[in-house]
Parts: sequence; C-alpha cells; structure tokens
Amino acid sequence: MKNLKTILVFALPLAVGLFLAASCVSTKVAMKSGAQLWGENCVRCHNTPSPAAYNDTDWETIGLHMRIRANLTAEETRKIVEFLQSAN
Amino acid sequence: MKVRIIVVLALLSCYTVAWAQEETTQGYKPSSTQFMIRGYAHAGFEYQAVDGDARSTFLGSSFVPIFIFKPSDRLLFEAELGFFYNSRNEVEVSFEYADVSYIVNDYIILRMGKFMLPFGTFTERLHPAWINRLSNAPLGFGHGGIAPAAGTGVEVRGAIPVGSAKLLYYVYAVNGPRLNTGVDEPEEAGQLMFENLIDNNNNKAFGGRLGLLPFSNSSLELGASVYGGTVGDRNDSLYSNVGALLYAFDLSYVRQLSAVRGILDIKAQYNINNVDQATYFEEELDGSFTPYTFNNSSNASFAQLSYRPTMAGNDIVKNFELVGRYSNFQAPEGAEWEQQSTQWSFGINYWLSWRTVFKVNYQSTVQQGGHGVPAGETVTTNGLFVHWAMGF
Repeated sequence: MKNLKTILVFALPLAVGLFLAASCVSTKVAMKSGAQLWGENCVRCHNTPSPAAYNDTDWETIGLHMRIRANLTAEETRKIVEFLQSAN
Repeated sequence: MKVRIIVVLALLSCYTVAWAQEETTQGYKPSSTQFMIRGYAHAGFEYQAVDGDARSTFLGSSFVPIFIFKPSDRLLFEAELGFFYNSRNEVEVSFEYADVSYIVNDYIILRMGKFMLPFGTFTERLHPAWINRLSNAPLGFGHGGIAPAAGTGVEVRGAIPVGSAKLLYYVYAVNGPRLNTGVDEPEEAGQLMFENLIDNNNNKAFGGRLGLLPFSNSSLELGASVYGGTVGDRNDSLYSNVGALLYAFDLSYVRQLSAVRGILDIKAQYNINNVDQATYFEEELDGSFTPYTFNNSSNASFAQLSYRPTMAGNDIVKNFELVGRYSNFQAPEGAEWEQQSTQWSFGINYWLSWRTVFKVNYQSTVQQGGHGVPAGETVTTNGLFVHWAMGF
C-alpha cells in the first residue's frame, strides 16, 4: 500500500506531464525570443511579471537574482532581461 | 552655529537641485552598484475544527523582506529576514539566508554563506506565500518539517543546454543537520535539526541535485536530490558516528494549453530521510531512564495540481485559479514523534495582480500519533483558510 501510494504520487503526474509534453513542438532555446522565454520560464514558479513593474536597471538586478535562484541559463537570462527592458 | 548649519544646508540644497537638473537634462545614468528590497507579505483568517473542537483567528501580517545588492554583473548578495507573530503574541525574527553568488562563467555559479538548499524544489522555489498556491506548506515541509530548508557552506550550480533539453546541476558542502538526542526535548529524540550555523562536528554534509528539462519549452522538469553526512555531535560518544542520508525526487509540469484554455501546473515531491539507528532514553515517572531504539526512517510527499483559465475571454474569470493538493507524512514507528498523516487541500485563488493573490482554501488532515494526539488515536482536523499574499 505504501509503495502504491509512492508510485501514484509520482507516476500519475509524470504520465500526465509526458503525455501533454509529447504534443509540444520542440524549438531550440537559441532560436527563441526573449518574450517567449519570459512566458515559458517565469511561469514555472510564479506568474509572468509585468515588464512595467520595474525599470531597466532593476530588471538587470532581478535578472541576475533569478538566474541564480531559478538556475536559468546565461542566454535565457540575457534574452528575458532584454525583452523586459524593451517592453516596460 | 545655527546660522552656519542653515547656510550649509541651503548650499547643499542648491547643489542637489542643480545636480538633479543636470541629471534630468542629460538623462538618467544608473550606477553599476544596485540595491533592491524585494520580498513578500501575507496575512489572513483561519478556522480549524480539531475533531469538532472549533477555533478561529485572524493572523497577523508576516513581512519577509529580501535584500539584494548587486555590485557588478558577476556578483550578487542576497539576504532574507522574516518577521512573524508567534503563538505567544511576540514578534519573531528569522534569518532565512544570506549569501554571496559569483558568476564564474555561463555554466558555473559559485555561492557562499547561508543559502536555501536545492533539495527538491518546494523549499527553494515554491514556499513564499505569493508563489505557494495554497495557504500553507505540505505535510513534512516548511518549518518543523523533515525537509531541509537552508544550509551554511558553499555551493556550485549551473544550467547547461543539451540540445533542446536543459540540465540543471547543484553541488554543495554545508555544516549539515544536527541530531536531536532528546536530552532537552525527549519527545523529539531522533529528529534532525536543520538550522546548524556552527557545525557540531568536523564532517561536512554534502548534497546535490540534478534537474532535467527535456523539452525546449521548459515545461517539464524532473529532479533528484541527495543530502547526507554525520549528524551526531563530535563530543557525544554515544551519537558521534550517527549519520543521515536524505533523498528527494521532484516533478514540475507547467504549460499553457489551448485545449483547456489556461495554464496547467503540476508539482510533486517525495522526500525520504534515513538516520542511522541509535539508542535514546525515555525518562520514567520515578526519574529512571529506559533505553529504546527505532528504525529512524521517515518520508513526506505531496502532489499538487492547479489550473488557471488564462485564455478565457472574461478578465475576471482569467484571474481565478483552482488548486488541489494531496500530502502525506510518515514519521518513524517507535519514535516519540511517531505519526502518520494525510492531508487533502482544495482552494480557489483570485489574482489581483501577477504578484498579489487572495486565497480561500479548505483543508482536511487525518493524523495518527504525533504531538497532542494520544497513542493509537486518530484526529481529524478540518480547516478553512482565507489569506492574501503579496510579492514585491
């Protein structure tokens, strides 16, 4: 029973996740825009932030903070920050 | 003297105005040194009925500022404090973390200090009230749980693109957890205490996490974590060799799907704690001590599903979010803190902005054993939580 619970806790979300992910179109990160990366990465933990929430300088600081906290790649961080700075 | 001070202040004011006008004329030029205060706050109302015995209370605000100091593009200092009211109506200040990070290159980040441990993802990424979709942490997580929160030491982390996929790695050495031997708190003998700012032995604890995001849209992340070391005090011959090995497995899937016209968010984590078997002592009524031991293995897990109709045509509807969570906690059989608990939580959230949420949650917890529950009895606690949380 204990093992069954363990399997259920992981197997069900995994199966659903893989099924849904299998339908996604794969595009390399290098070809993506900052707006697309902003929409895909921020939402992994919290809602996508409004570009207007901070000024250009603040986005630099927040970008570095989030690169470390969320372990974003250098390229993802650069593109996302550039998008937020251009759209605020 | 007063006249001199007034003259100096007046001259300073003139200079400041002139400087400000010059800045306005020439455009704002930011300095390379940046400082920000971010963080979050939350408050609310809670109603709980423990086997029919109801109680309710408003909860005082919690204020959790995060100080971020960026002296260059490669250096970042961050520190988080927490201000809370405890059950004795006192303001409690917690020191969550304070660490310096240095960007070595595109793939390596070096951190030192007290930092959130990447043991699974709940503690490091999901616990802040404005990010957590429910009003509290799953069973076994958060303060007093079996999941480690922070550690003091050094860490290397980074993200490596691998084709369309992405690999996240984390490796760290910290002071590690400390074993509660039950001398001061007999009912907690055998538990791990994770706040260990000064090491109680010379053996550092090592840990790490690997996270794989197999798809280029970063929608799915699968992670595995391990953390272990000696937990006994070096001066305590009875426990100096006691060690612990902790594992965690986590899953995250977040994707906006046109088929359901919104964002589907699935999170799950399973923690296993194994502590070497040791002998503890229970004080009897006559003052004598009876030795006892137990298989010190515990686990905690949760699975959460939330859905927000972000693609709905109505602006009000798209701000609603539905969430459900199952969590489970198993403490060792034979320990003073033995318990088996399961919990179901359901909630409706309304997002006032991207970082401000109003939550209404219902929660039912069934607990066998543990604090305040007589041996062999089962207690059911039903609760209603109305909270707001804001990130800033």
